[in-house]
Amino acid sequence: MSTKGTHIPERLKITFGGITPAPTQEKGQDLFPTGNWRAIRPVYRDKMPPCNNACGTNEKIQGYLDLVKRGKYLDAYALIKEDMPFPSVTGRVCYHPCETACNRGKYDEAISIRAVERFLGDLGQALKRDVVKAGAPNGKKVAVVGSGPAGHSAAYQLARLGYKVTILEKSPKPGGLNRGGIPVWVLPPEILDREIERLQDLGVEIKCNVEVGKDVAWDDLKKNYDAVVLAVGLTDPNSVRAEGEDKDGVIYGLPFLRDIGMGTSKVRLGPRVAVIGGGNTAIDCAREALRQGAVEVTMITVESNQSEMPAVPEDLHDMLEEGVELLHGRAMTAVHGNGKVEALQLHPARFSGAINASPINIDRNAKPDQFFVDNVIIAVGQHASLAWLPAEFKNERGTIKSDRFGRLGDTNFFAAGDIVQLGTGQQLMVVNAVGDGKRVAFNVDKVLRGEALQPRNIPVDVIFDLNRMNMTYFPHFARAQQTLLPPTSRKKTSHEVIQGFSEEQAVEEAGRCFSCGTCNACDNCYLVCPEPCIARPERSNGLYKILIDYCKGCRVCIEECPTGCLEGVPELDFDTGVVRMDTAFAITPGLHGRQAEQLQHLAEQPAKNI
Amino acid sequence: MSYTELTVWTRGIIMDKEGRDIVNSVAAAARKEGKYSQAMENYVDNPDRTNAPTRKYCRVSDDVIENALTYENEEPNIVVLVEGTMVKGWDYMRGMPPGGTLIINTHYSPDYMLRFVPGPERLAQLVCVDAAKLADHKWLYYRLGELGLDRLSTEGAAERSKLVAPDIAAPLIAAVVKTTGIVKRETIEPMIANKKAFEMGFEELHVMPLNVAAVGA
Repeated sequence: MSTKGTHIPERLKITFGGITPAPTQEKGQDLFPTGNWRAIRPVYRDKMPPCNNACGTNEKIQGYLDLVKRGKYLDAYALIKEDMPFPSVTGRVCYHPCETACNRGKYDEAISIRAVERFLGDLGQALKRDVVKAGAPNGKKVAVVGSGPAGHSAAYQLARLGYKVTILEKSPKPGGLNRGGIPVWVLPPEILDREIERLQDLGVEIKCNVEVGKDVAWDDLKKNYDAVVLAVGLTDPNSVRAEGEDKDGVIYGLPFLRDIGMGTSKVRLGPRVAVIGGGNTAIDCAREALRQGAVEVTMITVESNQSEMPAVPEDLHDMLEEGVELLHGRAMTAVHGNGKVEALQLHPARFSGAINASPINIDRNAKPDQFFVDNVIIAVGQHASLAWLPAEFKNERGTIKSDRFGRLGDTNFFAAGDIVQLGTGQQLMVVNAVGDGKRVAFNVDKVLRGEALQPRNIPVDVIFDLNRMNMTYFPHFARAQQTLLPPTSRKKTSHEVIQGFSEEQAVEEAGRCFSCGTCNACDNCYLVCPEPCIARPERSNGLYKILIDYCKGCRVCIEECPTGCLEGVPELDFDTGVVRMDTAFAITPGLHGRQAEQLQHLAEQPAKNI
Repeated sequence: MSYTELTVWTRGIIMDKEGRDIVNSVAAAARKEGKYSQAMENYVDNPDRTNAPTRKYCRVSDDVIENALTYENEEPNIVVLVEGTMVKGWDYMRGMPPGGTLIINTHYSPDYMLRFVPGPERLAQLVCVDAAKLADHKWLYYRLGELGLDRLSTEGAAERSKLVAPDIAAPLIAAVVKTTGIVKRETIEPMIANKKAFEMGFEELHVMPLNVAAVGA
């Protein structure tokens, strides 16, 4: 290739001592700006990884896994704290929809995201001071009713925004469902206490034993606060409407767990316990029953097999390891006994349509079974207790009527968490309540600042298709496993069953992340570009720059991007940044053209000049 | 006496034949009509590098071509861009006298493409034809990504066919003939292999008249 006859634009000119350097020499390529060969332009565009998308509070999971991988634990903790006030809690209790959505699950095994989150949460617990600070006070006061996951999250985000937040909690201890719905062998109370301390360090005041409608009236809330977030949760257990359900020895799941969690339980279980229900609360109740002295625990479900049960598979597995029996396809229709439960009457039953989303058909013509027990724990869901709420804000589902922003009419009252999500199709879980609390906090902020509320309808490109990534770069690698206490010993103690990751395990597990659709500064594009025309001042996401004067659109970087964050955009979609160059290939009056012109004028020149 | 220069801009290897088919067939048809004509390629442009921009030239004249040994068209009356992106790359309008014609293979409209054209005041018309679509959906044009991986492919990989204009050259030739009248349709049509695409090219042109006064001049 020659530069003879080439017009080089001023901005691309370099000094080179009179000798034309070859393209392979230093700066040699500067003379060959091949950007105008390009039909497709590589563009870095981060997509939403499926884990972030599935997470109820949209934690930046890929982001913190990447930081853990690089040993930047404090940065990772700070990143997780943007969306999650208590990673040490969700690192233990979350039903991890992120892991269910994880693309790695389609390849070998999903990343153990929850365990890494717990690792970071425990790191945060060990810090003398938290990385999060309260916002500059703006002089406005907000009350949050309820200190469960949604209330905690809303209070946390509001405090970060500079509001003076007061939490009103009706129980003697704060924590809501985190304390009263989760057994201590899953979430040790000292962990939760530490997270609540962190919340108080942000200036949030927590008033316990204060019940709305009894100790504080609706109008008082309206008068004393600029805004109120109602995150009261679902506190009343559902009944199965069986005959004799009021007998002694019949216990409801949520109060059973709550009283133990609050330290106010007076329950003494007999040796034989039945648990009615097939969900996660029922599993917690069955395992808790073993720790409360029961010897034989049987879980009775309408679901006809384990796969139909609406429960986290590993919790179900751990429960069975501890010796809990399962009895499927039965419904409790009566409780027999002389004042106290002695036996349950069970009839065959099944769902009339979709599992867990349709009425139950009970075959009352079949001969019932008698199931002898000393106690029965009913854990078939819960509902709200809203006697204190003005009727105009109740809906037909028995929850709070709010708009899509969580706002009650045009008032400054908002609702968040299970109290809104029940019956909407949204799965009820801690992380979803946290996410709801976060979004409502931002909506409260907007309303109090007089800004319009707008729905989040940003088009989100989530990579679910592994073909959009380059799987060549990801060898199969087994998931790091958390250690569990042995079933025989753990079922009689309150020690935490699942152990945390070591630093090595956390780093190893974070290193398995595909970083789906998101740049993780792997440097691959930088290395494979044949020109090379990808530049970076340092190795970091967001700092790669494509020199469009030289990129000829060969697509090698796009094809070799492991995560799929580089994509080819047709050059004509850019109506700015036109790369119009004069190179050896430009239509300059070239060498031959100029000769022709000279030849044409030969006759006009004096002979001595020829 | 009329003298017309046609310059075709194309891409090395993957679209090399398309450019050559256009200039060769127009020159051959002109000779059949009794005119003087020539067609040639530009050797400076490195047509054997994949994707490299490269030019093909054609001259048609009622009289003897005086600058037959000049290797480049210095004042092209008609410019054809075989690949739409080229509209942004170079000053392909350089030297064009007023009243010229620019023909682009693109699915965009002339209205959209005009923003990229340098010196559009010299144009009498801007013509857009979605030749790749009219000729064959599966043509290489739509598989540039695969070609990117196979960039060591040998010269002439896309030239296994000895037919004239079996693919996207056909609608582009139709666009040249219909909008400029450089040769007659009935002269050139028998040479074209992909007659269906040629006909569709005649029908599905998007012509944007620009500077009518320049045409008169």
